[in-house]
Amino acid sequence: MALIEVEDLRFQYPDGTLALDGVSLTIERGEFVALIGQNGSGKTTLSKCICGLLRPTGGRVLVDGIDVAKRGVKRELVRRIGYVFQNPDHQLFNSEVYDEIGYGPKNLGLPERERDALIREAAAVAGVHESLFHEHPFFLPKGLRQRVAIAATLAMRPQAIVVDEPTTGQDLRQSLEVMDFLSELWRRQGHTIVIVTHEMPIVAAYAQRTIALCQGRVLIDGPTREVFTHADLLAQTYVKPPQATRLAQTWTALGVRPDVLTVEELVAELERVLAERRGVGTRRAGS
Amino acid sequence: MPKAEIAKKTLLGVVPVDSPFYRFHPATRLMLLVFLSVTPLFVDLPEINLALIAVALFLLRWGKVQLGQIKRYLPLLFTVALFMFTVAYLAPGDRAMLTPFKLLGLTFYLEPIWWAFVSYCRLIAMLFGAILYFSTNRERDLLVALRTIRLPFAASYVLALSLRSAGMFMEDFATIREAQQARGLDLESMSIADKVKLYTMYAVPLFAVALRRADEISNALFARGYTLSARPATGGKRSDYLRKQYRLLARDWVAIAAMGLVFGAVVALRIGWGAFTDDASLLKALFRWGVGV
Amino acid sequence: MTVRWAVEVEDFSWRYQQAREFALRDVHLKIPEGSFTLVVGPNESGKTTLMLAIKGLIPHSLPGTLRGTVRVFGQPVEHTSAPVLAKRVGYVFGDPEAQFTALTVEEEILFGLENIGVPEEEIGERIRWASELTMVADLLDKPPYDISGGQKQRVAIASVLAMRPDILILDEPTSMIDPLGKDQVVQICAELKATGSMTIIVVEHNVEAFAHLADQVVLVYRGQVVRVAPPQEFFEDLAFVAQHEVSPPQVTTLFALLRERGLYNGALPLTDEEGIAAGWQLLAGEGR
Repeated sequence: MALIEVEDLRFQYPDGTLALDGVSLTIERGEFVALIGQNGSGKTTLSKCICGLLRPTGGRVLVDGIDVAKRGVKRELVRRIGYVFQNPDHQLFNSEVYDEIGYGPKNLGLPERERDALIREAAAVAGVHESLFHEHPFFLPKGLRQRVAIAATLAMRPQAIVVDEPTTGQDLRQSLEVMDFLSELWRRQGHTIVIVTHEMPIVAAYAQRTIALCQGRVLIDGPTREVFTHADLLAQTYVKPPQATRLAQTWTALGVRPDVLTVEELVAELERVLAERRGVGTRRAGS
Repeated sequence: MPKAEIAKKTLLGVVPVDSPFYRFHPATRLMLLVFLSVTPLFVDLPEINLALIAVALFLLRWGKVQLGQIKRYLPLLFTVALFMFTVAYLAPGDRAMLTPFKLLGLTFYLEPIWWAFVSYCRLIAMLFGAILYFSTNRERDLLVALRTIRLPFAASYVLALSLRSAGMFMEDFATIREAQQARGLDLESMSIADKVKLYTMYAVPLFAVALRRADEISNALFARGYTLSARPATGGKRSDYLRKQYRLLARDWVAIAAMGLVFGAVVALRIGWGAFTDDASLLKALFRWGVGV
Repeated sequence: MTVRWAVEVEDFSWRYQQAREFALRDVHLKIPEGSFTLVVGPNESGKTTLMLAIKGLIPHSLPGTLRGTVRVFGQPVEHTSAPVLAKRVGYVFGDPEAQFTALTVEEEILFGLENIGVPEEEIGERIRWASELTMVADLLDKPPYDISGGQKQRVAIASVLAMRPDILILDEPTSMIDPLGKDQVVQICAELKATGSMTIIVVEHNVEAFAHLADQVVLVYRGQVVRVAPPQEFFEDLAFVAQHEVSPPQVTTLFALLRERGLYNGALPLTDEEGIAAGWQLLAGEGR
């Protein structure tokens, strides 16, 4: 059974905006997925429906077989899927980091000893040092606040986490830090990761699979490498592949692969093409 | 975005994309709100207040408001009714002076129940005036109206700023609520004490976010050259561009005059001749007959 | 011909009231009138502080300790009043949501105009100009919370542009918005640059989008201005740039790496177009 199954999902806001117009997809355990698309394409609505934060107006979402729209499944649900909001300020409401991370387990009604173990484990994984446990989350630097928010989600031991715009407003080092961390969670701990983002270089470097939405529907869904070769299709939702990929695609006539994802790959690819030419050139000269 | 545009968002809900109300000046529409919410204060007779509600409903219909939008006010209407009638039942006043009657095995008193009904009709009539206003007016209309009746800029600006802050506050509140649910908060299985505690928990992030916002807004005001006096840098009077985009037309004057006349007549009849008391109410007679007293 | 300086920062240091350390130390920076400046550097390095000092929020609104001077068109900011500064320097904050003070887009644009005393008969014209340039003309009667992030950012720009400032500062204008929104902001900047009448300063992490517009790139790192150079020159030393936590355009990195490997020896491209041409020459040229 797939971890997340979305069947013909529809969502209409009270003002008539149709944010999701029949989305169907499945996400298997252990995938690293990026949700992309322009504003209003429905990515955030979809991610919130998946986590049971919004009740769909049509279709359904099953997480580990549980229908997320059913009443009384909240506790079951948060043990399977966690949602990290874009702005940490909105999700930190306790006066100490320790209580913040322990908020979820407490809601789950776990005994204190078990809670303590979960808190320490989640803090360690998220890189929140125990010396910070009695600090007020609000006064920590932004990067650390985000880590506390992630630790607080991890403390419920969900199998999957959905992260809304993990790198927005971050600089190069901060972006790499948070993405490397998510990547680590995915690789080492076997978590399923779903990110919602506008940063294509981040998608190219980290996500194994990419789903592009456009006007509330799935525009394209597949391995990231393949998705970025469909530049014309992505243009419908105003997404451009990373610059390295775009460049490669203008040189395909010269023998360059169109599906490179990073600068490093493109350098290697150009080296290969140049070496091949030289090889052909020398052979010709020799004959 | 695929938008079957049926409505435009406002802070308090939505308004129709197109409505005959929009042909009237915002000030006229504000006068309608005042008319519909103040008139019931001078009227006890429930028939008249029910008629006013009918007028408001008709105007909602005429104004192309989706009547589905009204549904969200039903819990409010119901809660108010429940509260008023419960008070009338539990604390009827001096029982010796009142007329008792029995219904479903319980003893009620005629006067307080009737009075609750009269007050309820009045309150609902006033409420429908407000619902009509906020279902057909956007924030901009309110501001233009206030400027038209010559409210000073600083006052209307503070009002706008607080409306806007209230909007952001509500958004933050909704997000925080979602964030708590994302962490397994289960409202259904909570005790009252826990719920009270929950609201104190909202305070931390709300206050924190509001503090950051306040800082940002004061910077934004500085950046746009705003000074407390609201006087422009060149001295002299501040121009009022927005208000001048609208003009009061003949139909506005007619509507305002008509509302003024009706209102004046109601007040005069009430104060001069003691009209609109509930003595003349047919409903009252019907009610007495119904409960058999 | 003498250059007129729009901004002169001399020996400038600033410490926020509660802070232990100086946010900016001994900063020197000159920005010529009519130029386009791109300011880069990691978060918390002092970029925004420097912009606030040019705008005059420092020291007018924020308490702290100041040394040195900032001059805007020769006049010390410290001795210039808010409305005068508002006309001189326009500031668009990173989070558009945070700077909205009005309930409709039109009023948002109008607000600054009335503050600086633009005559009534000119206001309509100004609103039209600013809203058309920023492509928000069809949003004028909308409330600012009912529009998308990209639209919000453009409204924020329009409301500052309408005041026709001599200097326009955009502080991370694309960090909160989607790709289409980013492209539109870049397009607006390009158009403004083409008119040539405004001095533009953009603070950005997204170097790729703005590098080709810049006349000079300024790197702020740990409270100091550590490098000022035209973009091509700026990215020549990739190691230095990387060490200071700035990511150059991918196309620039690509050709710098190729150059390190001895495969390329031309100028470093900054845009897609330059990169594509350089690539064709490199690959097709080899084949010949």
